[in-house]
Amino acid sequence: MTGTIFGIKRMEMHDGDGIRTTVFFKGCPLKCIWCHNPEGISFQKQVALFQNKCMGCGSCGGNTDEKTAASCPAGAQVLYGTDYDAPTLAQILCRDKPYFDNSGGGVTFSGGECLMQADFAVALAKELKKMGVGVYIDTCGYVKRAALEQIIPYTQKFLYDMKAVNSAVHKACAGQDNGVILDNLKFLIDQGCDVEIRYPLVVGWNHREADPIGAFLRRLNFTGKIKVLQYHNFAGSKYSALGMENTLPDTTTTLDDIDKAVAILKGYGLNAINGAKED
Amino acid sequence: MGLSREQLEAVVAKHIPINEEIDVLETGCTLIAYLLDNCRITVPEENRFFVSVNCAGVLGRLWWGRSRFVRSTFATEEHQRGDETLAYTGCLDISHTTPKWENVFSLGFCGLKQRVAAYALKADNTPKQQRFYTQVLKVYDAIDRFLLRAVQAAREQGKEEMAEGILVMTRRAPETLFEVMQTSIAYYVFQHMFEVTYLRSMGRIDTLWYDFRKKESKANAMQLMADYFAEADRLEAPANMPFTLSCYDVCRNISVVDLTDEILDVYSASNLTNTKFHLLCGVNTPESIISKAFACVQKGKNSIVFMGNETIIKSLEKMGAAPADAANYHVEGCYEAASDGELPCTTGGRVSIPKALELALNGGRDMLTGDPVGLATDSKFNSFEALYAEFRRQLSHLCKKSMEVTDLFESRYKQLHCAPILSSTYDYNIENGTDLYCDYGAKYNNSSINALGLATATDSLIAIKKLVFEEKRLTLAQLVDILKADWKDQEALRIYAKNKLPKYGIGDREADSLAKTITEDLTAFIAGKPNVKGGQWRLGLFSIDWRWSFGEKCAASADGRHLGETLSQNAGATFGADREGATAHLTSVCAIDTTNTPNGTNADIDLHASAVRGSAGNRVLCAMLKTYFDLGGFSVHFNVLDTDILKRAKERPQDYPTLQVRLCGWNVLFSSLSDKEKDEFIARSVK
Repeated sequence: MTGTIFGIKRMEMHDGDGIRTTVFFKGCPLKCIWCHNPEGISFQKQVALFQNKCMGCGSCGGNTDEKTAASCPAGAQVLYGTDYDAPTLAQILCRDKPYFDNSGGGVTFSGGECLMQADFAVALAKELKKMGVGVYIDTCGYVKRAALEQIIPYTQKFLYDMKAVNSAVHKACAGQDNGVILDNLKFLIDQGCDVEIRYPLVVGWNHREADPIGAFLRRLNFTGKIKVLQYHNFAGSKYSALGMENTLPDTTTTLDDIDKAVAILKGYGLNAINGAKED
Repeated sequence: MGLSREQLEAVVAKHIPINEEIDVLETGCTLIAYLLDNCRITVPEENRFFVSVNCAGVLGRLWWGRSRFVRSTFATEEHQRGDETLAYTGCLDISHTTPKWENVFSLGFCGLKQRVAAYALKADNTPKQQRFYTQVLKVYDAIDRFLLRAVQAAREQGKEEMAEGILVMTRRAPETLFEVMQTSIAYYVFQHMFEVTYLRSMGRIDTLWYDFRKKESKANAMQLMADYFAEADRLEAPANMPFTLSCYDVCRNISVVDLTDEILDVYSASNLTNTKFHLLCGVNTPESIISKAFACVQKGKNSIVFMGNETIIKSLEKMGAAPADAANYHVEGCYEAASDGELPCTTGGRVSIPKALELALNGGRDMLTGDPVGLATDSKFNSFEALYAEFRRQLSHLCKKSMEVTDLFESRYKQLHCAPILSSTYDYNIENGTDLYCDYGAKYNNSSINALGLATATDSLIAIKKLVFEEKRLTLAQLVDILKADWKDQEALRIYAKNKLPKYGIGDREADSLAKTITEDLTAFIAGKPNVKGGQWRLGLFSIDWRWSFGEKCAASADGRHLGETLSQNAGATFGADREGATAHLTSVCAIDTTNTPNGTNADIDLHASAVRGSAGNRVLCAMLKTYFDLGGFSVHFNVLDTDILKRAKERPQDYPTLQVRLCGWNVLFSSLSDKEKDEFIARSVK
């Protein structure tokens, strides 16, 4: 069994605790308009062409495929999607193990949506567990319940996206209804899993969701951390390189906007923090 | 009144010519005494502790003038070519020393002098010993006279506290924190400015000051430290005024950490621009101190080198130092460790590792000048192993030549340099009646070679291995022609070599293994080899700002580097090659057995400010450091850079007058850099 991965990032400090390596799984069931990893949406391998990096050397012969991406000297062509088997990938992800051990870090599965390749994710998590490396799952929650059930025994913490409680808002932002997401969150909490909520705040789209999210989490007696994340629109070049329509909202989320959302969430007795400046 | 600087320089210059009979100790001591008696003393309004003099470095004219003369007597054409092509160099190093601070503070100038006087009265002294004691006493008599002049000058300016303290120096050892600080600055002035043996550590100040600090109230102590660091900062020490923080006594039993903590608080609140700290990190260094040091780094107070105690001590013991001397080591420069009682001459010899590869590829000739700098070879290799063997042969040759030139200088110490003030602080020298330099009087009389450009050479070798021997994209002869033409019309290949091939600094096993092999070879060529002074050679892997000048003399290299571009910095990755992040970078550096490099193996880590913000960032930095030292790291320092701030500071330097960056072993004001250097830092900040 292999999994398709579109990136590995070492020394990652924003995807969980301590020093982490994040592995990005290809394919996502949602289409968030603000997605900053558009190369992770499709389940297929893709080659992006960054025109601004092309030096016109002609080594690609005008083609754009896996082979030309591998040999493109300037890195103008980038292949998103490489197949790995779990033991090999686990070895690669463990290169910073001494740093994980001293920092309380580990490996974070991200994407895309890592649990859309649930069997591979479980196989990889098992390998990592054998090596003494803890796993965090960064998920949008729009996944099958069985996938969660499979991965729970190998997961230290879930980093759980919550974009909106209002179904219409969620559908407008992410292209799908959020019923499954809310149910799955309740399931994880009921199972006693360690969950950290991540609320990406995009002014003009889901900035009014702080209240509903707060109310919803209070109903679940949620006691974990909720981190309000700042939106940025730095990923524009990747959309054009992939030939995708750039859906990134032309908006700015200020620190003040985040502080206001944090204050609302705290009003529900939640442990909310500003992800742009807090730990 | 005293004489002008020009008058003093003229007197010194008369003594530059030398002959075989000359006794540098006699000349040196006479001139130091002359300068002490005849310099001008001023009392800057902002100074609290000590006076200023107009003769800082004047005696350097003698040392460096003689050094140039001596070089002209022994330098062959071959040596000259080595120097001009910067394949290897050798020189006189009188710039990396530390006194025995424990004796300076426990005895004071008065006690140091009395000790010499007592030895001078011993009946069984040899004539050579007697000469040493007599000359040193001559200097101390002049120090006494100078101090009395300084008292008068301070009084005339209404500086009673300063005057009283200086008067005390003539009578007894320091007893208060103020007096110890005053003695510290005064000693620096005497050794560094008058004797011109550069002083590179103000000692383990938390340990040295601890008992004095206990006598003061916290408020008083904090004010004293703030005033002291500000005054020391103004002394314009080259490459920053260096202080060591050890958190413990030498045996690492007695904690002085509360003072370490206070010193970091003072540094954090200060605007010091020419001060640096070496923080000695051992297994029992409190996390709170590491965390506080990183909090300083995070806010731009990044003039802190983190030193790995266990590895460093082991490296010194490997050189044969007694365990107690190794444990009480000094950092005598940017990163160089020296045992207590060791004269390491840390920057005597330099060898360009990439140049050895250039010579292997080009028949032993420099690619830019055509000069036969290396050993003759046909440069035809049918395997990578054969190429490496030739590279190794050339590297060995450059190391031998660098040691040869440095040996020639060091064999002439008798005419070149004496250090009566520095020598008088060491028990070993006083007991033996020997000067550290002209009598080879150090307990450990070592010499050092620094090998520059490890990453540049490693990446270039790997590139040749891939391009020529594995991928067979071109022949070696074709590649050499391309390098000679500085990649002209070969931009695609150059970018491929730069971006697509394995690199040292990303934790790549093949590249790291090669870097390890090169270092092992350097160790075999240098470490422990006997020098001309009865000591041994030490290896270091730092390139500091020499990387620019050495890079300018290197042809284009197979790693994608253009002719004249900088070599890699210290033991770290080539700039831009550390694309896998800091952990990968440090993993590569730890592939090297740094217990073979007491002269320093430093990693320079650039981090974007957003990556390490807040307390979570602080915890990550602490964990990263701990892991690095667990893995055998020698030393490391960090630049936390914010691209936007650097760009704005380049455009409007007037808005960022105190913005500092860590250049290599020292900090500089960003505004003082050239545009080229500023652009390099801006590029490094983009992660």
